[in-house]
Amino acid sequence: MTTPNTRRDFLKTSGKVAAATTLISTAAPKNVHAAEDNTIRIALVGCGGRGTGAALNALSVDNGPIQLVAIADVFEKNLNSTHAALSGHNKVGSKVDCPAERQFIGFDAYRKAMDVLKPGDVVILATPPGFRWVHYSYAIERGLNVFMEKPVTIDAPTSKRMLDINKQAVDKNLKVGVGLMCRHCRGRQELFDRIQSGEIGDLTMLRAYRMAGPTASAAVMPNDGSMSPLFHQIKNFHGFLWLSGGAVSDFLIHNIDESCWMKNAWPEKAIAIGGRHYRGDHIDQNFDTYAIEYTFADGAKLFVDGRTIPGCKNEFASFAHGTKGSAVISAASHTPAKSKLFTDQAMSKDKMTWAFPQPEPNPYDLEWVDLIDAIRQDRPYNEVERGVMASAVTSMGRMAAHTGQEITLANFMEHKHEFAPEIDKLTMDSDSPLMPNAEGKHSVPMPGLVKKREYL
Amino acid sequence: MKDLFVTPPYAVCRLTFLAAATLAPVVLADSPQPMKPYTEAIEHTEVELEMVPIPGGTFRMGSPADEEERKDDEGPQADVTISPFWMGKFEVTWDQYDVWSEQLDQMRRQMLSIKPTDRDALVDGVSKPTEPYTDMSFGMGKGEYPAICMTQHAARTFCEWLSAKTGHYYRLPTEAEWEYAARAGTTTAYSFGEDPSDLDDYAWYFDNSDDAYHEVGQKKPNPWGLHDMHGNVAEWVLDQYDPAFYADHAKSTDPLNVPKTLYPRVVRGGGWDDDPDMLRSAAREGSSGEWKDQDPQLPRSIWYHTDALGVGFRVVRPMTEPTAEQRSTKWDKCEPKQVDE
Repeated sequence: MTTPNTRRDFLKTSGKVAAATTLISTAAPKNVHAAEDNTIRIALVGCGGRGTGAALNALSVDNGPIQLVAIADVFEKNLNSTHAALSGHNKVGSKVDCPAERQFIGFDAYRKAMDVLKPGDVVILATPPGFRWVHYSYAIERGLNVFMEKPVTIDAPTSKRMLDINKQAVDKNLKVGVGLMCRHCRGRQELFDRIQSGEIGDLTMLRAYRMAGPTASAAVMPNDGSMSPLFHQIKNFHGFLWLSGGAVSDFLIHNIDESCWMKNAWPEKAIAIGGRHYRGDHIDQNFDTYAIEYTFADGAKLFVDGRTIPGCKNEFASFAHGTKGSAVISAASHTPAKSKLFTDQAMSKDKMTWAFPQPEPNPYDLEWVDLIDAIRQDRPYNEVERGVMASAVTSMGRMAAHTGQEITLANFMEHKHEFAPEIDKLTMDSDSPLMPNAEGKHSVPMPGLVKKREYL
Repeated sequence: MKDLFVTPPYAVCRLTFLAAATLAPVVLADSPQPMKPYTEAIEHTEVELEMVPIPGGTFRMGSPADEEERKDDEGPQADVTISPFWMGKFEVTWDQYDVWSEQLDQMRRQMLSIKPTDRDALVDGVSKPTEPYTDMSFGMGKGEYPAICMTQHAARTFCEWLSAKTGHYYRLPTEAEWEYAARAGTTTAYSFGEDPSDLDDYAWYFDNSDDAYHEVGQKKPNPWGLHDMHGNVAEWVLDQYDPAFYADHAKSTDPLNVPKTLYPRVVRGGGWDDDPDMLRSAAREGSSGEWKDQDPQLPRSIWYHTDALGVGFRVVRPMTEPTAEQRSTKWDKCEPKQVDE
């Protein structure tokens, strides 16, 4: 694994140099941030594992003073865990200044955390995406730069709303990053350039897979009564469409986004299949399998397979096929991508014409390097429209599976079913927008029986 | 395959940790019967585990000062005595690992409407990993390929589960047991001799692995019938990594450096991404926090090493099962305590 003086260590060292160069290239800030001082203050809204990880990525950007000054969540346990993990971190702990009075709990905690910041500071929005438009609206009102985790929307009405809200952010020149970190992967960026320059001809088919066992909180066991339905669902947010868009939105969006990126287009329509098999006592709304066929304007297809059944073949990768060859967009998991090009369709080793050098810099770090650089250099930077479209296209595929109908992008965007229209009014004592029935179960999609919306 | 093996001798098994009335009766004998290879079936699955007897004995641990590529932590050599045990013929595969990590046995039992026995209830009570966010095989294959990327805590908990599941005490090997079994009576750098150019017959490593692990048992075994002790994946042992521990425990019996800190702990044998020097019988490596660098979550999982794609494990079963007290004070002892955040 860590043999000194081997070829891999030479490569690893080279990789570190490359990564460091990326950092150094951004290390000449003009002091444009927050006129009176150069410190970027950060507030974290949503202290789950990924939000906390994003804060760590943010504080690791080494091109000027940066500080975490407020955290917010609806679970006290999450606040404590996040504070302990970040303040005790050997590399970024000194950049954490979140005393108890700047740790906020509740559905209005996002406001209190953002109120700590000054215009030009950064808020990380990492709650389940159902809340995103609410929190983003306030961030724009406060004049804050934003990093928001993907997905950014989970249904059509909020997708349109986010696009509308975002116009104000553009008008205010706010810098907004979206956690589709594959877009910041240097390997995929070079692959995109090569594909767009015609190295494998015109793309006629793309394939994307995320097939593993039960993932994160997608499979949800019944509420044991220790928390309200609202909190039980937030704790298991991957299981409920109003919070996360479910397994399709949260898990498949990366593969769908990177595939559409390589095609340099969004698909126009989708059909899909899926079903539930090993449900046992689980009470979430997810299918165990999804297979989506997207069609682009030129007739090219994107096939997406998602599965969360244990004991089956695993695959977590995306591929592109063109008239003159093929490409590995990402090989195994999000990172490293190990992007490659081939002159055949079988991706034979002897037909490989290009591979991004390994190891490659981590895109979870790079997306923050790029955002903080844009803030310090005051460059226009807004990924929201792209993030909304990736989220909407993903939701379109999910809707095709859940309704059993062909869904066009145009029709999807006009769809009226908003999963949680009152989400901005939730309090700690509220009912959930999706209440369980007398048996403790929740409404699930019924393809063919319920066609005009994803669940009743 | 199964009829090639005989039922394991129960002569010295004391199922002290299982009081279930449904268990097979335990026969106690005055002296151990000869140890034989056996196959352990994993109930409620199609999965089996092949075990090979390792005779007790004394060996010289570490490498001689003149061994090529030798590192300082491999010496001075120390004579160590090892009690007999069985060892997995192969590294633990994904098929075996996933029965625990994804509770496939419980699912199958439920799908077939089989009522749980008292032992099933015990098995169901053992912790399992939280659901990962990604394919932990990283596209290199599952099934008969070695399981990877688990923390030592996960590997230890698998053994706890396997013990409850089978009624036999399984654990990770100690570092001394591992090297003893890897050497298989040899004193050369590798169990087949000194020449790394012969490695292709015995091991998957950087030059021949094509950047991935391979199905277990594809290469020749060592003299005691163990496959992939060199290469494929490095293997967790129980010990805290301490360069001096074995020199300090010369002439000891069944030494174990009980872990007190999370890092570094020992993996042995080298993996598919290592060069030949790390595949030598005496080569040692300590784990580090960097083995979780690519995990985008914080706090990081106690179950997964997202960057240890060349690390797996195999299990052992001591011929003489330790008492509950011996287990808690030595074999199963491990600090600091690992809990999910």
